[in-house]
Amino acid sequence: MNKQEFLEQLRRGLRGLPQEDIEERLSFYSEMIDDRVEEGLSEAEAVAEIGSVGEIVSQILAETPLTKIVKEKIKPKSPIRPWVVVLLLLGFPLWFPITVAVFAIILSAYIVIWSVIISLWAAFVSLIAGALGGAVSAVYFAMCGKGLSALTMLAITLLSAGFAILMFFVCLAASRGVIWLTKKFAIGIKHMLIGKETV
Amino acid sequence: MDIQLKRGLLDVCVLAAIKDKDSYGYQIIKDMKPYLELSESTLYTILKRLETAGMLTVRSVEHDGRLRKYYHITGSGIARIEEFKEDWKEILSIYRFVVKEEENE
Repeated sequence: MNKQEFLEQLRRGLRGLPQEDIEERLSFYSEMIDDRVEEGLSEAEAVAEIGSVGEIVSQILAETPLTKIVKEKIKPKSPIRPWVVVLLLLGFPLWFPITVAVFAIILSAYIVIWSVIISLWAAFVSLIAGALGGAVSAVYFAMCGKGLSALTMLAITLLSAGFAILMFFVCLAASRGVIWLTKKFAIGIKHMLIGKETV
Repeated sequence: MDIQLKRGLLDVCVLAAIKDKDSYGYQIIKDMKPYLELSESTLYTILKRLETAGMLTVRSVEHDGRLRKYYHITGSGIARIEEFKEDWKEILSIYRFVVKEEENE
């Protein structure tokens, strides 16, 4: 890939960001390529050293606040014409519920995912409580001289504690997984708003 | 390494790279290469952050028929490096304490 192609692809990838941001990024990468070429690299080698356009775009999107992208997205490209306003007003009964529905779906997806996490942790807490309760009962039965009951309670205590330890790692892994997914999801939304798939 | 810690380190490294003499993007990457790999995108973000924080200024200089951006450290940039050095003295003494504890074990 030569410099021109690289910069064109990058420009396409960043479409949706404010124009001055795009120009600044492009001139930065352009200078980086020129400086490498000046040192004796070929244009293709210089571009290869910079890295893949897809990765660069993903990194830039991850660093750009969502609000900035949305603001740029809804900024009218040309002054709003009267008929657009009329259409917006007439279409209100249609687009408003749809927008609300889309946001409600996204919100409920989040809630569902996080409820799973919360219930996992709740299970963990109840196992701990079970272990503690078992321990207290075991001591109580032992003091009353009910050996069999005390032994049963001791078994329950150990069982609960064992499962609690396992549960802890499951919860931790699940929470990390969800946080990772949430981040991916945010980048996905940004890609969607910019209206392109990663090259 | 902890992300917050790394971010702070990178900022100071870039400031150090332009401390003695104004420098430009590729030169900064080359100067830092023996110590740490820095991608273009990361450098861009750092430079932007430092510029916003007023720790460096940017000027475009004509070079070989094209423009090249040179970065110049400001007073508060130099102050940031000094602050970093002070912080590290403290961290180093804590480090020695931690290592000593381990050796005694």
